[in-house]
Amino acid sequence: MMNTGYVRPRTLEDALAFLAENSGKTRIVAGGTDVMVDLRAGTLKTDYLLDVSRLQALRGIEIIGNDLSVGAAATLSEIYNSAILEAHAPALQKSAVNFASKQIRNVATIGGNVAHCSPCGDTLPALAIHEARAVLSSPAGERQVPIEAIASGPYMCALPQNEIITRFILKPATVAFADFQKIGRRKELAVARMSMAYMADKDAEGRICFFRFALGACTPTPQRNHRIEAMLTGQIPDAARIWEAGRVLAEDTIAVTGRRASAVYKESAIQGLFMRMVYPLV
Amino acid sequence: MKPEYNVIGKSLPRTGSVDRLRGAPVFAADIQLENPLILKALRSAHDHAEVVAIDVSKALAIEGVVRIFTAADIPGKNLLGIINKDQPLLATDKVRSRSDAVALVAAETESAAHEALAAISVTYNPLPSVTDPFEALKTDAPKIHPKGNLLFSRKIRQGDAEAAFAGCASVIEKTYRTSMIEHNYLEPDAGAGFVDTDGTLVIYASTQNPHYDHKEVVTLLGLGDNQVRIIQAATGGGFGSKLDLNVQGFIGLALFHLKRPVRHVYTREEAYLATAKRHPLTLTVKTGADADGRLKAIKAHIVCDTGAYGSYGIAVASRSAVHVTGPYEIEHVDIESYCVYTNKPFCGAMRGFGAPQVAFAHESQIDLHARDLGMDPLDIRLKNCLRVGSKTGTGQVLTASVGIGECLEAVKPYYREALESGVSAPTHPFRRRGIGLGAMWYGIGNTGVQNPSTAGIEMDPEGHITLFTGCADIGQGSTTVLAQIAAETLGVQPAEIRMVVGDTKYTTNAGATSASRQTYISGNAVKDACQKLGDVLMTEAINRLHSPKDSLVFQDGHVVIKAGPENRPEDRIDFPCLAKRIHAKGVPLFWQGYFDPETIPLDPETGAGSPYATYAFACHLALLEVDTLTGQVTLEKLVAAHDVGQAIHPENVIGQICGGAAMGIGFALMEEFEPQKTVSMKDYHIPTCADVPTVIPIIVESAEPSGPYGAKGVGEPALIPTAPAIINAIARALGERIYHLPANLERVLAASISSGHFGPQEVTHG
Ligand SMILES: Cc1cc2nc3c(=O)[nH]c(=O)nc-3n(C[C@H](O)[C@H](O)[C@H](O)COP(=O)(O)OP(=O)(O)OC[C@H]3O[C@@H](n4cnc5c(N)ncnc54)[C@H](O)[C@@H]3O)c2cc1C
Repeated sequence: MMNTGYVRPRTLEDALAFLAENSGKTRIVAGGTDVMVDLRAGTLKTDYLLDVSRLQALRGIEIIGNDLSVGAAATLSEIYNSAILEAHAPALQKSAVNFASKQIRNVATIGGNVAHCSPCGDTLPALAIHEARAVLSSPAGERQVPIEAIASGPYMCALPQNEIITRFILKPATVAFADFQKIGRRKELAVARMSMAYMADKDAEGRICFFRFALGACTPTPQRNHRIEAMLTGQIPDAARIWEAGRVLAEDTIAVTGRRASAVYKESAIQGLFMRMVYPLV
Repeated sequence: MKPEYNVIGKSLPRTGSVDRLRGAPVFAADIQLENPLILKALRSAHDHAEVVAIDVSKALAIEGVVRIFTAADIPGKNLLGIINKDQPLLATDKVRSRSDAVALVAAETESAAHEALAAISVTYNPLPSVTDPFEALKTDAPKIHPKGNLLFSRKIRQGDAEAAFAGCASVIEKTYRTSMIEHNYLEPDAGAGFVDTDGTLVIYASTQNPHYDHKEVVTLLGLGDNQVRIIQAATGGGFGSKLDLNVQGFIGLALFHLKRPVRHVYTREEAYLATAKRHPLTLTVKTGADADGRLKAIKAHIVCDTGAYGSYGIAVASRSAVHVTGPYEIEHVDIESYCVYTNKPFCGAMRGFGAPQVAFAHESQIDLHARDLGMDPLDIRLKNCLRVGSKTGTGQVLTASVGIGECLEAVKPYYREALESGVSAPTHPFRRRGIGLGAMWYGIGNTGVQNPSTAGIEMDPEGHITLFTGCADIGQGSTTVLAQIAAETLGVQPAEIRMVVGDTKYTTNAGATSASRQTYISGNAVKDACQKLGDVLMTEAINRLHSPKDSLVFQDGHVVIKAGPENRPEDRIDFPCLAKRIHAKGVPLFWQGYFDPETIPLDPETGAGSPYATYAFACHLALLEVDTLTGQVTLEKLVAAHDVGQAIHPENVIGQICGGAAMGIGFALMEEFEPQKTVSMKDYHIPTCADVPTVIPIIVESAEPSGPYGAKGVGEPALIPTAPAIINAIARALGERIYHLPANLERVLAASISSGHFGPQEVTHG
């Protein structure tokens, strides 16, 4: 930890050049709220830390044409306070509400949350329901990858080491119902044991005409659940139907994770949390 | 009528707070020494193993490594423990848990010390281990200590419990379990030391008991008393775990051999790994009540898992046995408590010494009786609670300051209001609210053993006052409180008294800052010293003022004739003037005070005795909401009434109550230390501000005649009733009870499911 060099380039180009020159010896750092923990624990060893948190190219939350663009270095506090997100990606804004603590939110970034590839990353379910794509820069240029393709497994980042995530492109949505909920072992500063995000709309007859849902912290990488979306779309939401959808969701999830000791709680709580989150539709 | 006091009952600025706010280097880790060596301990790689060989050659070859110590380097007695000596500083023939230190590295730098730890090669011969105390009690269990795995047992027998159950209308028997808990003080253990010019080993330590540390280090090193000096550094919390020797012995050993300044600062991980924990208890409690709800009999079987070493385990077993009756009159008692070794991290003192664990049981039992008999939980407590004249389970008759009834009455308005608001009505499809009570009693000081304190007071010939106390202020504010007691007794302001605290060179033994004893016991010792000095001042003043002693009082640094018609200068004389005259006569102006509470040891067979001179009492009320779909619990409000005898410093009392309540929330809902799994605060959850609701503290003052200005204690009582109140509220919300702490997400959701609350529920509006 003591022998790690710290580099803070002024431009994205400089950052990419440094990365290219020192590939394999450099770790990108933004808020450092994962990196510093791993450095101290000795699970991360690197020659250089490349700080991208102040690069203009990675900042800002804005609507560009039909897209919603969220800079990779946007902090969770910025997400929490963003009127644009509240209007166009409310579940993402809500994912910042119980994220860590205020001190952490002030420095932690969405790019770090995604690139850390923790199954428990709080922004991931909301990004999934907005079909987010990450914009990656390298000396070779820009490319986009779907958010789900960034993690190849828990804490395993599939991105090449010479690329920097500059921003996320989300499909904005103005919906009547949206939420993010999580369960932790305490009210703040707790890793999600389970999290979920959804957004939905009802038509004039009260049928669900739009439904997007993703589950976090339960499977190796957070994913949208198309089966649940299909089950509820076109339906009149009543308590029994939602309860049943929650049951199916739990069943699906346990099929992925297997019946470990922790599944006893998870199976019921997934159904329960789904009910609690989606209940406003009733 | 309450007496009028000068400074007692006033919340004055806390001693030392200015230094702390300015960031002065008052904590052990910040102490500036010239070029100190870094110490690091190597811990055991096994739960239980013979240590066959320790090869330090590779480690010694690392640049910057100065020396590596093993047990062979200890010149004195390598066996520690405040009650029973069973814990080596460095492992000799075997290790009994992963907390055991095997070797100690002294190096020029942190990184060299770390490298050395990894380079020490220890050859172990692993032994079968046992981690369950019930298994450990079996005859064929691996033997952890030569005398076997049962360290201690305590019996209390009065009357005939079995026969009494036969006549009871309600008999309830349940088994309760609590988890191992980490103290999690803000400041991880730390110390530093140097060798003084006269050869004295000077050790600064974050500690709750400098004089105990002194005795242990002297014995460990085979030195004379005046060759070791312990200075208590500012201590950022202890909660019991800084009663054991943590860094002090290591520092002493290194100073002894190397004669160079050293520092030893635990990381959070090491504080988790290597220091004492709260004992997990398993207790089966059977109680019986008559048709009126009067408790008649109790039978209890308590097993305290003390891990690899005794530490304060014997005290925990003893106190658990005494306190398991709760603050209630029960005629027939049959209690057994066992303290058992296992190959787990050792358990020692933690805020309450077993009382929080047994309160969970006795408060669950009394609620179960209330339900069984169709009674109100508050009424049944009021009916059974101790009062003046009551006999406790050990046959002690309480003669004064029994404020449990007042505490119950104090929470009553909040309780009634909540009930009238229909707290438990099903008004939400998946949230249920609940209300619960938790009561407790707590004997102040150690259980049935002598635990004296001493203090010194000195007036110099110019009239300046200095108070000498060995009492470690660990953040609870004892220095301020002792200054207030001295100031009240001598009629001066606390700020005018110079305080010399927790330094074994200048202060005498005040005993441990534990068992909620310092205000009561050291407070009395201070008062005793001040009265002796005061008497000398008064006697001298008689001569000057020509007025009898009983007409004189202390006031603003003077002796004055009280109730004089007018305020004449000739009716008063100041301290400097008196001090000069007394000094000239050769009469001493330094006086030593002493207090030891009057206790009678518990009989080994029947448990009869008076284990404590006085008891604190409390009742908490918890209002909360259970999410029946996920098991999440949200606290809405805690009301905490505490009988403290007399609040010397009300803000300090409130601080203890609120902090205790927060700790109680952790004990109730989330805290559980799992050896080898729990590494740091990353995987051990204590409550944050967001988990702590409004706490309404209520100070009840049922004055204790033997206490300094009526005071008792509050440090530990603050925590004890919280968990029971929360558990009872959850039980009321769900109609299903949890018997295993913590009541975490899994257990609460399981209770919600088994009570039929899981799933969308019909809502009644009202
Ligand atoms: C006390 C505490 C509480 C926490 N609570 C929560 C919580 O409630 N919910 C939650 O989801 N997380 C939580 N975390 C984890 C952490 O705060 C989040 O994952 C955070 O979003 C990480 O962002 P960062 O900017 O600090 O990342 P960093 O630590 O700087 O980086 C994390 C990883 O991302 C990579 N990286 C960062 N930026 C980029 C980029 N632009 N391009 C490519 N790679 C990049 C880094 O190389 C590194 O591998 C908590 C952490 C702590 C210490």
